[in-house]
Amino acid sequence: MATQPKAQVDTRVVVETPEGVDFRFVIAGPGKRGISFLIDWLLKATVVGFAIFISTFFALFGDLGQGFFGFGFLITLFLLDWGYGSLFEAFWNGQTPGKRLLSLRVVRTNGTPITFLTAVGRNFLLAADQQPAIIFPLFTVGIIATLTSRRMQRLGDRAFDTMVVDETRDWITRSPGITQGVEALTRAECPRRFHVPERTLAVIERLFESDRIIPDLRREEIAKTLSVSLRKRLGYEEPAPPQFRNPHAYFERSPLIHTLFLRRVLKTFVDDKNTDEEARRNRLKTGVAETALRSNSSSRRPGLSKTSENDQDVSLDQWVSSANIETIDTNTDWIVGENFETYGDQRSSNL
Amino acid sequence: MNRERFIKQRRSDWQTYETLLSRLKTSWFSKWSSRDIADLSRLYRSICYDLSLVQSREWGQRLEQYLNDLVAQGHNCLYRSPPQSPDLVWNFLARGFPRLLRKRIGSFLLALGLFLIPFLAGTIAGAMRPDLAELVVGRESLDQVREAYGKSFYEGFDTEFAGQRTSMAGFYVFNNVGIAFKAYSLGSFLGIGTAFILLSNGITIGMITGYVISEPDLTNNFFSFVITHGAFELTAIVISGAGGLVLGQGMLFPGNMSRGASLRHHGQESLQLALGAGVMLGIAALIEGFFSPMPIHPMIKYVVGSTMWILVILYLSLAGREVVTTEESP
Repeated sequence: MATQPKAQVDTRVVVETPEGVDFRFVIAGPGKRGISFLIDWLLKATVVGFAIFISTFFALFGDLGQGFFGFGFLITLFLLDWGYGSLFEAFWNGQTPGKRLLSLRVVRTNGTPITFLTAVGRNFLLAADQQPAIIFPLFTVGIIATLTSRRMQRLGDRAFDTMVVDETRDWITRSPGITQGVEALTRAECPRRFHVPERTLAVIERLFESDRIIPDLRREEIAKTLSVSLRKRLGYEEPAPPQFRNPHAYFERSPLIHTLFLRRVLKTFVDDKNTDEEARRNRLKTGVAETALRSNSSSRRPGLSKTSENDQDVSLDQWVSSANIETIDTNTDWIVGENFETYGDQRSSNL
Repeated sequence: MNRERFIKQRRSDWQTYETLLSRLKTSWFSKWSSRDIADLSRLYRSICYDLSLVQSREWGQRLEQYLNDLVAQGHNCLYRSPPQSPDLVWNFLARGFPRLLRKRIGSFLLALGLFLIPFLAGTIAGAMRPDLAELVVGRESLDQVREAYGKSFYEGFDTEFAGQRTSMAGFYVFNNVGIAFKAYSLGSFLGIGTAFILLSNGITIGMITGYVISEPDLTNNFFSFVITHGAFELTAIVISGAGGLVLGQGMLFPGNMSRGASLRHHGQESLQLALGAGVMLGIAALIEGFFSPMPIHPMIKYVVGSTMWILVILYLSLAGREVVTTEESP
């Protein structure tokens, strides 16, 4: 908490764990939360429709049938009204079906999972947040409360000390759009040095992050500072413009040379393994056990083939405990790229 | 340490951790083996250290993001709220709830005043001038009251009784508990919403009572019907109102806390009041559904009803007064 700056320009919140490590949460805004609310609402409406259907069917069975299904129907309505969000969030670790679809989660502001009472409380206060609700909840109160709060908390969140975080994983992965249609630099173009540290690449990426809305010309202006010193380091010389050119065509094309240069740098030095990484994560999500075993038995390493031959269906428990550096493929490309350097080296080459 | 060497060295741990996490996430908390928990907490601590190392040396956004992700997932797994036992519910109803109400007696009395004063005023006005009652609650409602209480409810215990009353019990849960929770929830508008609901309900119910008093053929039926479940229903409405007022109090009078902290401080207690009221209203709905309209002599209902009132008052004022030991205190 201590590291949280006063003036906040994005929606990240830093939480300090008892281990003394800061980690970041991305706060979900009213837009995503609105969509997840709509999904939940539609789901509830479907259940109500289904309940009406069933109760009309059972109404044919005389007084008793009518009574029991009237009871069931009204209790369903009540539970959907007051229990849907509360119980889902309490027993599904802060998620409703709508939130799960959009990978949102309710956590307490210290980053820990919510408790039963907290989940119930914040959902009870939804009745206040969704005012004015004449036919459909307009959420005016909730939206005002959300926008005036640093952690985008509606009244229910404020009273019960919770926040809704966005767990979408790829919020900082490399966008392929930046480097599309750009030629990579060649060695011949950079006679002095052919290497850019990861840190610098990260800075360039930040400049192109899609949630930062910067006009092109302004971006060019910012890019210039970095571009000029990078050119000097790499020894890159801008090819001389064509001798003869039409001044009008020049302005139309508006070359933005520094932006272009930085994009070329990214294209050249970022070893983009986005797709591989995604595939890896999907594998992890769907079937850990199978993947683990398959990778175990299909590994070509000599130390491993011995065990995998002996027991094909070794339990995951054993696999995890026996896992050590030899048994795991140590290909680090997905994280490092080909370029790496020592810590000291990086400091000295700091831009 | 060299960045690549660091990754090479630590990566096996990260993978073990990831596999372990995704396995634990899908299995139920109580089924985790002690070995898993020990492994998880050891790996979690070491990854926390890795993250802080990467952060301080600025070894790239992607690596940092990856480790941040691992830490967040582990944090979610390890620091969860302790599993709750059914004991907790019993303890709350047997001791915690009445204790809390007595602690918040000021809000309760205020809510009681907000409900009782317009109720009494409405009763007197409605009894003396039924035309005024018609003006306030409307002709249709009074006609419904007349129809409902003009005759005895049922002739005997048959399927008509069972069917209709079951469905009505559902309606009482849906309607009354819903109103009580809403009254609580609207307390977050500085308590004004709650006050409004209490006042308007007080006036309406008072006016109807007054109208019934002014019509002698309805009186006996009406009072024998409402007395039993009223013990739970009316007190519960006032208590959920008290919950809403506690919430409003937290916003209006923060004392020496910040307004946000004060709201959080009052939030938990106010919610407990509302939940307790919800349980009482559930009981009330069952009584109103099945006992109150029974075709039995009104005298029995009066006796049972008065007993209920005494029991509710005794429960709220005396339950949980035994000596508090340290484990029990909240």
